Amino acid sequence: MDRRLAALLTEKFGERLLTPVRQRYDESEIRVALANATDTLRTLHDDPALRFEMLIDLCGVDTGEEMQVVYHLSSSTSGDWLRVIVPGLDRTAPRIASATFMWPGAEWMEREAYDMFGIIFEGNRDLRRIYMPDDYRSFPLRKDFYLADDASRSPAAGVRNMERAGTPADATAATVLRKSPGV
Amino acid sequence: MTQQMRPSLDDPRVAIPADSTWYEPAPIPQTERQAEFLTLREGEMFVNMGPQHPSTHGVLRVIIKVNGEKVVDLDPVLGYLHRGVEKLCENADYHQAICYTDPLEYVASLFCEAAPVAAFEKLMDVDVPRRAQYIRVLTMELNRIASHTLFQGWMALDLGGITPILWAFIERDEIVDMLAALTGQKLLYNYYRIGGVNGDLNHEFMSRLGTWMSRAAAQIDSNLALINENEIFVRRTRGLGVLDAKTALKMGVTGPNLRASGVPYDLRRDRPYLVYPELEFDVPTRDEGDSLARYLVRMDEIKQSIRIIDQVLHEMPDGPVMAKLPRLLRPRPGRAFGAVEGPRGVYGTYAISDGTDQPFRMRIHDPSFVHLQLVGPLTKGNLIADTMAVMASLDPVMGGVDK
Repeated sequence: MDRRLAALLTEKFGERLLTPVRQRYDESEIRVALANATDTLRTLHDDPALRFEMLIDLCGVDTGEEMQVVYHLSSSTSGDWLRVIVPGLDRTAPRIASATFMWPGAEWMEREAYDMFGIIFEGNRDLRRIYMPDDYRSFPLRKDFYLADDASRSPAAGVRNMERAGTPADATAATVLRKSPGV
Repeated sequence: MTQQMRPSLDDPRVAIPADSTWYEPAPIPQTERQAEFLTLREGEMFVNMGPQHPSTHGVLRVIIKVNGEKVVDLDPVLGYLHRGVEKLCENADYHQAICYTDPLEYVASLFCEAAPVAAFEKLMDVDVPRRAQYIRVLTMELNRIASHTLFQGWMALDLGGITPILWAFIERDEIVDMLAALTGQKLLYNYYRIGGVNGDLNHEFMSRLGTWMSRAAAQIDSNLALINENEIFVRRTRGLGVLDAKTALKMGVTGPNLRASGVPYDLRRDRPYLVYPELEFDVPTRDEGDSLARYLVRMDEIKQSIRIIDQVLHEMPDGPVMAKLPRLLRPRPGRAFGAVEGPRGVYGTYAISDGTDQPFRMRIHDPSFVHLQLVGPLTKGNLIADTMAVMASLDPVMGGVDK
């Protein structure tokens, strides 16, 4: 655990952090608002004291109430990995700026997040489905997407009207989402 | 009975519309990049490679835009092996999730297990017994050697040499049989558990390992002599698909592909896990960044792996191989990222717990997925046949790419 990094991050970003820097094992975690996401990533990448130049991973998360985009960065100056969480994306129309301006390698990871969650990355030149077929309408990793085994519990409700395959006649209860607002 | 002759495609008088190279209606471009790709200029045409092509190392389709024999652009089409592992893991408990990750990279499946196990152990604050840590290092390094020797054979096969893959499989079979004696499985081991490993080392494994170690170095050297100085092999790979360090970092490349570009980044040393800090090994790098360098870095890594195995066997302590844990695991809510340095790069698992016995979200990061993006940029302007050489040197495995 790199205590120096926590102090440095607090000093650099100050009130831009939504929560204090969290550290556990060899990971540090910060949360920034959607509006500050691009600036934060740029600072993390360019600042000579931070130099988080490697994007290890980019993924989407659906908490059941909101969407999040999570970046894992690695630096040549710190032993810790940094997790940047951008919470608060609207579940009905999640949008965020693309990270491809800095890491062109994020292109496919953003395509994957779009394919699985429907998150629109503005500025990604090639944002289309990557695993699922082009005419597929749902976003499988969303929490309201049920596996075939669970379909009996689902009133077949997708997120958008286009995805609605038709509500079965015997559907009574509303979809019960597994929500985790705490994480 | 008269049969109407169909016009021959070789007949110069027959005008073939540009979109006739599609056997289905040409796709409607959805993005800027796809529109650019689908626009054919004078003299260009599309060639379809795959999905079932021996050089794609799995089920991958690549649409190649060619001008004569030169590749202008290409567009990989993924998803043929997509099983939705992440979704399945969200609906399984923590133990079940581990065996779902096994078939991701079927040539190095221990690494695919090691990443989620590392993440879960962080979530649950489990201390792995030292003997189990040593066993993990031992089996992972064996698996790395198996994967790299297979890479060597594949790469030579993609360049037209049949013999090396037969030799490679001799070595790989030895290791796979050895691991089968230990784990009960030849390919998908499902050996690591949260808090340790499933079963201590047994006599058959140790005797096979001892026999193999006594001749491994010599055997691998003779395998290398088979193609390292082969003129055709070297001339077809040297200077091909050059990836410089800056681009590699921007593209998120990790593992041997990054080290072949001169960046000495290895998780085993730079972000140590298990007992790697106590072991002595070098991180081989090359500066050229071409296909040959990517090949040679992997071959150097085999030697380092043998060195690590040798130390592990000398220093392995006695003791339990499993931590004491309850049957039903309910970690506190939290997030953890577990990562290991695999034969292809960083295997990562990002697990979120919401306090139940199932992961709330389990993200699997596979290095092959990132590396496959590079095939396009690296092959532009080369010959079609060199696409396979570049792709083989990046060593993607489609099971991991498609998840």
